[in-house]
Amino acid sequence: MKLRHLSLPLTLAFVATLLLPIASTPARAAGDTIVFGAAVSLTGRESKEGRLTQEGYDFWKDWINAHGGIKVGGKTYQVAIKYYDDEDNPQTSAKLVEKLISDDKVNFILGPYGSSASFTTAAVVERYKVPMVESNGAAETIFNQGYKYTFAVLAPARRYLEGIVDMATHMQPRAQTLALTSANDAFSQEVAQGTANFANAHGIKIVYQEKYPVTTTDVSTIISAIKAANPDMILNAGHLTDALLVHKGLKEQNVMAKIYGYSVGPDTPDFRDSLGKDANYVIGAAQWSTTAKYKGYPGFITSSAEYTKQFVAKYHHEPDYHNAESTAGCLAFQYAIEKAGSLDPQKVRDALANLDVVTFYGIIKFDSRGLNVFKPMVVNQIQSGKLVTVWPAGVAVAKPEYPAPVWARR
Amino acid sequence: MGLFLQDLVNGILAGGILAVVALGFSLVWGIMNIINLAHGAFIMLGAYITYQLFTSLHVDPFASIPISFAIMFAFGYVIQKYVINNVARAPVLTTFLLTFGLSLLLVNLALMIWSGDARAVTPTYAGSNFSVGPVTIPWAKLATLACALAITALMQLWLARSKLGRAIRATSMDIGAAQLSGVRVAQVYSIVYALGAGLGGAAGSLLSLSYSLNPSMGEPFIIKAFVCCVLGGLGSVEGALVGGLVYGIVESFGSQYIGTGYQDAVALVVLLIVLILRPTGIMGKATA
Repeated sequence: MKLRHLSLPLTLAFVATLLLPIASTPARAAGDTIVFGAAVSLTGRESKEGRLTQEGYDFWKDWINAHGGIKVGGKTYQVAIKYYDDEDNPQTSAKLVEKLISDDKVNFILGPYGSSASFTTAAVVERYKVPMVESNGAAETIFNQGYKYTFAVLAPARRYLEGIVDMATHMQPRAQTLALTSANDAFSQEVAQGTANFANAHGIKIVYQEKYPVTTTDVSTIISAIKAANPDMILNAGHLTDALLVHKGLKEQNVMAKIYGYSVGPDTPDFRDSLGKDANYVIGAAQWSTTAKYKGYPGFITSSAEYTKQFVAKYHHEPDYHNAESTAGCLAFQYAIEKAGSLDPQKVRDALANLDVVTFYGIIKFDSRGLNVFKPMVVNQIQSGKLVTVWPAGVAVAKPEYPAPVWARR
Repeated sequence: MGLFLQDLVNGILAGGILAVVALGFSLVWGIMNIINLAHGAFIMLGAYITYQLFTSLHVDPFASIPISFAIMFAFGYVIQKYVINNVARAPVLTTFLLTFGLSLLLVNLALMIWSGDARAVTPTYAGSNFSVGPVTIPWAKLATLACALAITALMQLWLARSKLGRAIRATSMDIGAAQLSGVRVAQVYSIVYALGAGLGGAAGSLLSLSYSLNPSMGEPFIIKAFVCCVLGGLGSVEGALVGGLVYGIVESFGSQYIGTGYQDAVALVVLLIVLILRPTGIMGKATA
């Protein structure tokens, strides 16, 4: 191999890629523009979620700029967002956020994707006293560090499956027993713990509980044990890959239950496409859904339906909750900046801490730790191939189909 | 008792696939002394070939096994001839690094082509099953096991009977003597690496039925293949089969009676025990 002949052009290409992001984005906050900074995963294992995050942020930015910008005091500002790719590495994310604050002098930070990266970046914004609103890190450990500058618009991990259990207790016949499985990462453990506590408090008996490694490739033993426990309700706290593995396994071993629920999975089109009609009757928890009926404050799109319509027109796919929560993170900044009437980081932080608004995405209000514990999760069910919101009753558009019939009739 | 039998069946069904996963890895390692970290990526590519054939051309996943084997065989041949061959006799760390880089490259290419979305191959019969007493057996997994056994049997036969197969075995026994007897070692290496990639592709096709596809799906299988090889004995077909089955069954019972969280730990403890009692693996022969 004569690689030497290629080395010069390769080096030049490499240097060019390094220079690319610098050339294409505004260098610093200046003039009449508010600059936000964000380090999200544009490559790596979670690049899919990272892109969804970026779309959510950009959708808000373009909408606001097209509608005149943000009013601060008597002046109107346009909005810009400077991105870096953290390559799905929490340490890189923290470094890049530090660079955004100290080198690029951005005004505010929008969060990265995922709990791990949110955790590392929270420490950085705390040091520099620059407020960050994050939309994609639901683990409560981030907010138990006493930080004052990090806020999350999403409901915390422990609440993810509460809605499904709550729904189950209102069904006829009422579900009595629960089998609960979870991946052994921090986020899923918090989900499982919260679910178990909620189930116990509401008189539902946990007949089987087990955790599996995140990298598991075979869950058939768990499926056999669930079948032996014969629960009314099967809930899984995990991720898309394992949700698919579990649901396929349940069919393979013909396991019957009244409710099949997953913390992550059913809200993504991948889940429905992969499972076809076996996905019907599956229930999922989501931060938001395209059919959730919230009535937002003026200043931005006020309903899920309108958000969905404009989003599809721009990106040619339906927004999923990652998109919506990312947009909601920007909205928190928008309302807080308008209320503060200033771009001073300290004043905006205080306005965020006292924020109490309803948006198309639901309520945004933070507890003293910066966590949006006030927002419930919506419960969606896949009915005849479509994802519809079935709980809480106040925002639902359809009744839950309950109980699930035998596998052959789905 | 019902649960015990079900676990045993689950273990055997899982073990059959692991045997094919381990087989290609074992040949490359045993014969070429290359710990092929790109094996997981080959498995992933095989799965995506099956997925693409299934969604675009409605080819049944089982019918796509020979196709993904052939494509990956050709791919492996080219990779060996033009890339790996440059470092064929280099220290193990060099090939380690090269195959690791190759793996990264392939995974990220797959990310560009298919994106990070999870995908699945779901023919109409996916998930259908039958019961024998208290045990439920999914048809697709049973057929997968049958394919796995057939693939191992074919490999064994080919290595024992064919001229090329004998050349491969001769090379693994004594490279110098093989060369003196007229075996073209460079060609043998290309074939072995191609076989490894082809078997990885076939394993990917088999996995696509029960597993969901994403570009990094192959990663967890590298460590599993590693353990199966060492368990069963390196570089032999029957070793990979026994290693796969033992791993599958141990993992199944370990998950049920010790805890799924310790799935990997249990398998590794068994590996340690086997290595202490039989350092050459269950089916391994003592080297001269």
